Amino acid sequence: MHTSFTSHNLPASCAALEDLLPAYAEGELAPDERAHVEAHLATCPACQEKIAQYQTLGQELVGLPLACPTPEMRTDFMAMLQREKAALPTAQIAPVAEAQPKVEQEAKVLSLWNRPATRQWLQVAASLLLVAVGVVLGMTLRPRSEQFAASQTRKPSLATQLATAATQPATASDRIQLVSNAPTVNQQNDATVLVLVNTLNTDPNPNVRLAACEALYRLRQDPRVGSALVHSLPLQTDPNVQITLIELLVELRTPEAVPQLERLAQRRDALPVVRQQAEQGIGLLI
Amino acid sequence: MALAPVLLSNYRKTHPFTPNQTLVETTDEALMTQVQADNLDQLVPLFERYHQPLFSFLCRLTGDREVSQDLTQNVFYRVLKYRASYHAGQPFRAWIYQLARNVHTDHWQQNRRPASDVDQIEHTASYGRSALAHAAATDRDAALQEALALLPADQREILVLHRFQGFDYAEIGELLGCTAGAARVKAHRALEALRKIYFS
Repeated sequence: MHTSFTSHNLPASCAALEDLLPAYAEGELAPDERAHVEAHLATCPACQEKIAQYQTLGQELVGLPLACPTPEMRTDFMAMLQREKAALPTAQIAPVAEAQPKVEQEAKVLSLWNRPATRQWLQVAASLLLVAVGVVLGMTLRPRSEQFAASQTRKPSLATQLATAATQPATASDRIQLVSNAPTVNQQNDATVLVLVNTLNTDPNPNVRLAACEALYRLRQDPRVGSALVHSLPLQTDPNVQITLIELLVELRTPEAVPQLERLAQRRDALPVVRQQAEQGIGLLI
Repeated sequence: MALAPVLLSNYRKTHPFTPNQTLVETTDEALMTQVQADNLDQLVPLFERYHQPLFSFLCRLTGDREVSQDLTQNVFYRVLKYRASYHAGQPFRAWIYQLARNVHTDHWQQNRRPASDVDQIEHTASYGRSALAHAAATDRDAALQEALALLPADQREILVLHRFQGFDYAEIGELLGCTAGAARVKAHRALEALRKIYFS
């Protein structure tokens, strides 16, 4: 992505120190590293020139003039503030703001706003692993039910299959299988999205709900998906489903999710990790 | 900003409270907590403190004053709109800069240039040289601005945060979701990239 600056035609002694030169020019090197660089600089005019360039650059950057906003900015800001104040008693955000101080005095979640990306991925990976384990166990440990096998041969719509599976005692792994096989391209007026949303909101098994999340994400082109995920958030109690939903809402950049995320971040029955995830999601969406 | 509490405590020593006197806490965080409790007027001092730095931050990112003015306005609008998501004690500066970065990202996504490889053309040395030679002849600052504008957006952002907005590596790391060490390496790479463009 970036223009790589590892030059190919540098002498080996220069190339070895190349990455240290900016830090040297900034005065950020530890004494031993600095001595190392200085020993090289004494014999290398090319690197000396680079250092001089860094220093020139540093001085000129400091000297760059500062742009000033026009006075209209303050006028516009004041007008905006007045509008917001006027809208305060009836504004939609008022209830949230009122609820805030009460909750503030109770248990407080420390914001780990920008947590390392690895942890997020671990959470996603854990969620996916759960689904995968569910699928594999379902396939290996249980014989396919006749109802499911028959439905495979007749190929009714996914909607019908899931609706049937929900009313009859199909195994969770069957339902996961059905949901995971949902098409990735949605036709107009297809009930798949609605059935998946229904599964996401009502299926008793969290692994099936997770699979429904993933299947809905694949259908994200459908405008109904984003709002369905938002509205599903308060209904979910399983932490894996909650975390997956938050991840997907952030991935889909759904700003409408912010109020629900705020509520979730304050929910005392939610696990701390879920509330942190919700807060982080808010940070990324607003 | 960090000085505010110190100054306030000095003020209290020399000006003890009288019954009719109310002294308003003036840290960014205290003001924002007030805003959160629907005392929207407390956003005014925050606007006074931050609109210039945010404007200059956005200006250096976008290179466009008019757009930056709109974006700065939008940042303060979002402060109001999303005030419930601010948490008491959370460093306000980091929070508002995160909002500014999001506003910039959203703007950039909405106004994405058609994929005509303009960036590719801009990064070829010959274009950079001729453009810069011309600019340098007239104005050194303009040449440096031009060089900054030729940097990839993420490298420009790091340099701007570090050089102009006074963020240290730990703060940059927090904003970008990486360690302070990684932020330092990125800042050095950005400086090297700028050196290459400017002196090529």
